[in-house]
Amino acid sequence: MRNTFAIAGRELRSYFATPVGWLSLTGYVFLTGFFFLAFLLYYNEQAATMGFNPYGEADMNVDEWLVAPFFGNANIILLFLCPALTMRLLAEDRKSKSLELLLTSPISTTEIVLGKYLGALGFVLVLFAGTLHYPALLMWMGDPDPGILASCYLSWTMMTACFMAVGLMASAFTENQMVAMILAFGLLLIFWLLGWMESGLGSTGFQATIKEVLSFASLVNRTEDMQKGLIHTKDLVYFASFIGFFLFVTHQRVEAYRWR
Amino acid sequence: MIKVENLTKRYGATTAVSGISFEVPKGEVVGFLGPNGAGKTTTMRIITGSLGATEGRVTLDGQDVFEHPAETKRRIGYLPEVPPLYTDMRVRDYVRFAGKLKGVDDPKAAAEKVIDRVGLRPVAHRIIDHLSKGYRQRCGVAQALVHDPDVLILDEPYSGLDPAQRLEIRELLQELAQEERTVILSTHVLADIEAMCERVVIINQGQMVGQGPIDELSSVLGARSIMLTVARPQGLQDTLMAVQGVVSVEPQGGQFRVITEGEDLREQIAAAAITHGLLELSGRQSLEDIFLHLTRTQTAPDSGAEA
Repeated sequence: MRNTFAIAGRELRSYFATPVGWLSLTGYVFLTGFFFLAFLLYYNEQAATMGFNPYGEADMNVDEWLVAPFFGNANIILLFLCPALTMRLLAEDRKSKSLELLLTSPISTTEIVLGKYLGALGFVLVLFAGTLHYPALLMWMGDPDPGILASCYLSWTMMTACFMAVGLMASAFTENQMVAMILAFGLLLIFWLLGWMESGLGSTGFQATIKEVLSFASLVNRTEDMQKGLIHTKDLVYFASFIGFFLFVTHQRVEAYRWR
Repeated sequence: MIKVENLTKRYGATTAVSGISFEVPKGEVVGFLGPNGAGKTTTMRIITGSLGATEGRVTLDGQDVFEHPAETKRRIGYLPEVPPLYTDMRVRDYVRFAGKLKGVDDPKAAAEKVIDRVGLRPVAHRIIDHLSKGYRQRCGVAQALVHDPDVLILDEPYSGLDPAQRLEIRELLQELAQEERTVILSTHVLADIEAMCERVVIINQGQMVGQGPIDELSSVLGARSIMLTVARPQGLQDTLMAVQGVVSVEPQGGQFRVITEGEDLREQIAAAAITHGLLELSGRQSLEDIFLHLTRTQTAPDSGAEA
């Protein structure tokens, strides 16, 4: 475990040793701010209209009309950002031959893979910490449910953890960082689009079966309930299996470095 | 201490290393010699456990490096040809990180010690990316040395250094070699081996060509080289090739290099060369000559030389 944290710590620090970390942090905070502002304005407009409707006013609440859409739509920033954050994890080590230090040290492949993974994940948690002022503002000015906010952050963390596992795997398969990024982005986009395809299908017969399969496989759909404050065990199991699968493939791949 | 037995490594259809066996006793400095692509790096990587062997095994005091990677890796320090540096880190952080990975109890103290040892003190706070090649090489040595290993494996430690840096690193490594460590040093520059090593292992095209103490190498290999200077070189080659045991006669900068096999033929050669006005005959063994001879001839005496 000590080795895992040593590698994770090095990875995390290395984001801040290069402009990558600072640029990502700035960009992420700026873009989430943009999303937040857009949904806040939308919420204001809705609230003003609904004010004239005696039934509508009771329906308006900040969790459903601001928190859920904000967290749900800001997912897309992570879709673009994660491949850029994970592309160098193993590819750069192989290219610059620093991997040799890891391979000749008395540490296991599992420790290498987990260390790299946790380091990248740690960086994303730093990014998330840079968005805490939005819920803080809401808590100050309004009355959101803190449980739902926590659940929303959990959804981001879970989804990013899945993205990072795919990205790490892509980085293990090539020495070229650009290839790693494109591969990771392509794979993630497929998982992203599964959710869209599903909504176009009917609810009877064969289409219903496909729909069920797609809905099961879709990564992003799983975050929807969580962003409403519903944490299902089946979703957590899905995320854990997803991460486990891609980390396993990465492990096998890194193990194979010793044989070629 | 280090025992390499019948080591073979294939990459698909290509065989990088084929049936290499040798032993390195404790505290000895062994030169690992061969042209580029001979399989030196492959063999070294297998010894350090960063690469798996197709056949054969490597043991360190009886412990198989592949069955007990944690124990053996803790005892081996490895400097690859390209030092495995994280160039975005500061020297001190990098050495500490390496110490942590190698399982050192107190990485901070170990890092400070090794920074002084390899002369990185003046640049300890600097980012590796901004260092000269000589200092980077020192970082590589620091990484290999931070856990105080008894075995040091150095792959082409002088490649890409300018003459001044080369001398610095050579002095450092010579000091390290004197510290009761078992050292394997690979190179294709013979002067480096002659300066440091007690024994050499020569490989070519993945095969072991010979091994032995550096001063007896020529007899182990069954080849000697003799330098000749004569007044009338016309026809010398034919005259000498007629002497039994002479393998080749080649002009080299006004002199002739004669390679012979078997026993010492200096007397016979001198007698033959006298008709050409023999001016000088030197029997000093040059590793370079033997090396060139061995690696040029495809039918190297590999089986006989291993004994």
